[in-house]
Order: sequence, then structure tokens, then C-alpha cells
Amino acid sequence: MEKFLQYRNLSYYYQTKESKIHALDNVNFFVEKKNFASIVGPSGCGKTTMLSLTAGLLEPTSGEILLEGKKIEKNDSRIGYMFQRDHLFEWRSIWQNIILGLELQKKHKDEKALSFADELLKKYDLYNFKNKKPRQLSGGMRQRVALIRTLVLNPSLLLLDEPFSALDFQTRLKVCDDVYEIIKSEEKTALLVTHDISEALSMSDQIIILSSRPATVKKEIKIDFEGSTPLKKREDKNFGKYFESIWRNLS
Amino acid sequence: MKPKMNYSKAHAKYIKKLKKEKIIIKFWQVIVIVGFLGLWQILADTGAIDPFFFSSPSRIFNSIIELGQSGTLFYHIWTSLYETILGFILATIIGVLIAIALWWSERLRKVMEPYLIILNSLPKIALGPMIILWVGSGTKATIVMCVLICIVITIISMLNAFISCDSDKVLLMKSMHANKLQILFKLILPNALPDFVSVLKINVGMSWVGTIMGEYLSSKAGLGYLINYGSQMLQLDIVMASIVILCLLAGGMYGLVVPFEKKCKRN
Repeated sequence: MEKFLQYRNLSYYYQTKESKIHALDNVNFFVEKKNFASIVGPSGCGKTTMLSLTAGLLEPTSGEILLEGKKIEKNDSRIGYMFQRDHLFEWRSIWQNIILGLELQKKHKDEKALSFADELLKKYDLYNFKNKKPRQLSGGMRQRVALIRTLVLNPSLLLLDEPFSALDFQTRLKVCDDVYEIIKSEEKTALLVTHDISEALSMSDQIIILSSRPATVKKEIKIDFEGSTPLKKREDKNFGKYFESIWRNLS
Repeated sequence: MKPKMNYSKAHAKYIKKLKKEKIIIKFWQVIVIVGFLGLWQILADTGAIDPFFFSSPSRIFNSIIELGQSGTLFYHIWTSLYETILGFILATIIGVLIAIALWWSERLRKVMEPYLIILNSLPKIALGPMIILWVGSGTKATIVMCVLICIVITIISMLNAFISCDSDKVLLMKSMHANKLQILFKLILPNALPDFVSVLKINVGMSWVGTIMGEYLSSKAGLGYLINYGSQMLQLDIVMASIVILCLLAGGMYGLVVPFEKKCKRN
């Protein structure tokens, strides 16, 4: 088994005015290449801290995070980040939003990168909306654009910070399917943080359950369902069993 | 087919109702001004109010014509307009630049915060005598007054707009390796465009306050001077005529900002 993304003895403390807070304590686990992993845990346990550490926005107090055997650096270009809301810039067209990252890295004249962006738009049915403004798109489409904006930079690891929590339930199921399909067909490794057990179950190959603060890995579960999409996985006969087991570990 | 017909019929009715409402509003707007002027004229003509103190629409009209024929009116209008527009532009540009500097350095922002609050609450006219001593009387002093009145509110409004930009959006930019200059130009500034338009609208009013105040303090020309002169000579016709012109100019300048606002909203 290849340890694509690996957490080794990861601990993290942060300071507040009142005290020093022990957020993560000796976290150890790994994610295989092209797998979809989810982190669930009681609220306030440090899930978002985990993501910020993985994105290189924070530095571990001790221990390390390795991606393809190499330590994660500040603003690591191997990592793509997807937020709770799509954060599309209203004053830019869909196309301009998608090439934002290329522009920032001065690659917006790079033919290869641009044709890749074009290709992604075509592949995921957004090409006709290329020149539209974000507000002319539905919530689900906007989230798809946000994902493509990240994929254009060709990251090897995708971090998803509750990317569906701002959507209503119907849209959420649909977008879940869309995002899952895109991540799988682009063969990306993904790490999702969520408090929604069903969502984690329907998307992941692997679920990491964190304990409450100071968080450590309480349990790791490998998931194997029949269905090919998150929606179909929800219909699997073992879905309830998994759900219950995670639920019990959380409370 | 029938329901669609019904729908469009109802729709046409709705549109008609909207149009009718618009016409009614316009009608009453005209009635208000005509009624006001008419009543004023009648009261003045019948002697119910003393036209020496209250003037009258016809006297104001004649006064404008007289001033216009002697050529002095345009000189005064031009002076005030020049002071206001220059003050408006200077205050807006310098104010935005200072706001950018304060956004850029959090430490500078924290250091300057109490002083900005004091400057904002200070009635700028209190600085009038100092301004005259420093830059001399006349047009220069008026422009400085105009800038002082507009600039503080510009800085505070724009800084607020810059700071209130969603922190996740900034994080998104950082996660895509944006440097601070890129964050400024590709996120913070375009994001603050609607606030900028509000500032422009506020500054149209504020810059006229600054100009008239400056001209009251010390000047030899301008509408503020004309008002001051008229009141000292007890020529209320000139005072009123100046105010009417002032209304038209300020309204016109506001009108210039409106299409800009519409364009921003559409984008």
C-alpha cells in the first residue's frame, strides 16, 4: 500500500488570550493514492485545524504531514482547497473565475493550461456558461465551477472543507454526485472534512473518526459499497450499519 | 394555449398598472414644485409675505437673468464648480490611497484608528482660520476645506469596505499563491466597487458643503461668496438665485454618478 498522504505523530497547540489549547494529539493515519478519505468528529474537535495544517496554512507543533513522501510546505502547490461556499467572484465571468489561479501564477498565457481549463469546462457541462456571470448559475453549478477552478491548477491532493454545507438538501445530493464523479474521473486523492455522517459515508473509501479535543484518531473505517455514485451508495444495505457504528464512535 | 393568453393579458395589465403608477408619481412631483412656486409668487404679489425678505420666484428669475447678462454669474458658477470638482477628485483619490495603505499594514491601521475617529468627529470648519493662514485665502483655501470634509469619510468608508471582504476569499487567493498586490487588485478593490460608488454619492454632497463653507470663510468669488454678499447687502434675490443654481449644480453632479452606479450593479 502506497502512503500517498501520511500523518506522522501530528500534534498541534494554539494560543488564545486565556490559555494554550491542545487541539491535536499524536494523529497517525494515511490515505492511499486516488482514495477519498473523510474526517468526521464531534464539533470543535479540530477538523478544520487538520485541514489548515494539511493545506500548509498552519505549521504542526510536532510531527509531520507528508505528501508523496515530501513534507507539506507553506502554500503548497500540490494542494487544492475547496471551501464551504463557492466564493466565485461576482465581477468575473465563469471563465475568468476558472483561470483565476492561472492568472495569479502568471500562467494565463500558457496554451496548455488554458486548453486544459477549456477541456474541463466542456467535460463537466459548463462550456455554454463560459461567459456568464456567477449569479446566473444555480448553486450546484457554482460549486462545480469552484471545483474546476481548483482542478485547473492540477493539484495532487484536494481538500474539501464541508463544501456542501451551504446548499439545500436536494441540491446537496446532486452536487455530491457531481463532485464525486469529477474527483474520481480526474483521479484525484481527496480529503473531506464534514459533520454529516451520511455524506462522509456516501463519498468515502475511508473514514477517520477523531475524538474530542485534544483530537486523536479514535477509529478508522474502510468503506466498501456496491453503488458507483454517492446517491446509489446511500441505498446499500450496509449503509445503516456503518452509520450506526460511526454514530456510536462519535458520541 | 388559453392559460398562456390569460397570463400575458394579466401581465399586460400589470405592466400598465406599473406605468400608470409612474405617471402618477411624476404628475405629483410636478404639482409639488409648481404649487410651491405658485403659492410663493401669489403670497409675495398680494403682500402676504414681504418680497424684500422672502423674495419671489419671478424676482429670483429676473435676478438670475441680470447676473447672467453681466457675465458675473458664470464666473461665480465656474469658480464654485472648479473648487468642488477638484476637491471631490483630490479627496476621493487621496482618500482611497490612504485607505489602501491602512488596509495594507494592520499595524498602521491600529495606530491610526483613534486619530481617524477624532478627525471624523471634528467639525472641519473649526480648521478654517488655520487653513487661511497656511494656504492663503480664496480658491486654494476653499479646495483644502472641501478635501478635508470629504477625505475622512472616504478613508473610513473605503477602509471598512476593504476589511469586510470575506476572509475565506482572501484565504482562497492565498491558497492559489496570490501575493498581497494580487489580493489587492484582483479581490479587495473589485470587491469594494459598490462601496466606492456609495462614497462617490456621499462625496458629491460633502464636496459642495466644503466649497460653500470655504467660500463663506474667505473668498472673492463663487456661489458661497454670492450668497454671503447678497445677505450682507440685504439682496435676498441674489441669495435665493444662488441657492437655486446650487441645487441644479449639485443635482446635476449627482446625476453624473448614477449611470456609473448602474454600470457597477450590472457587472
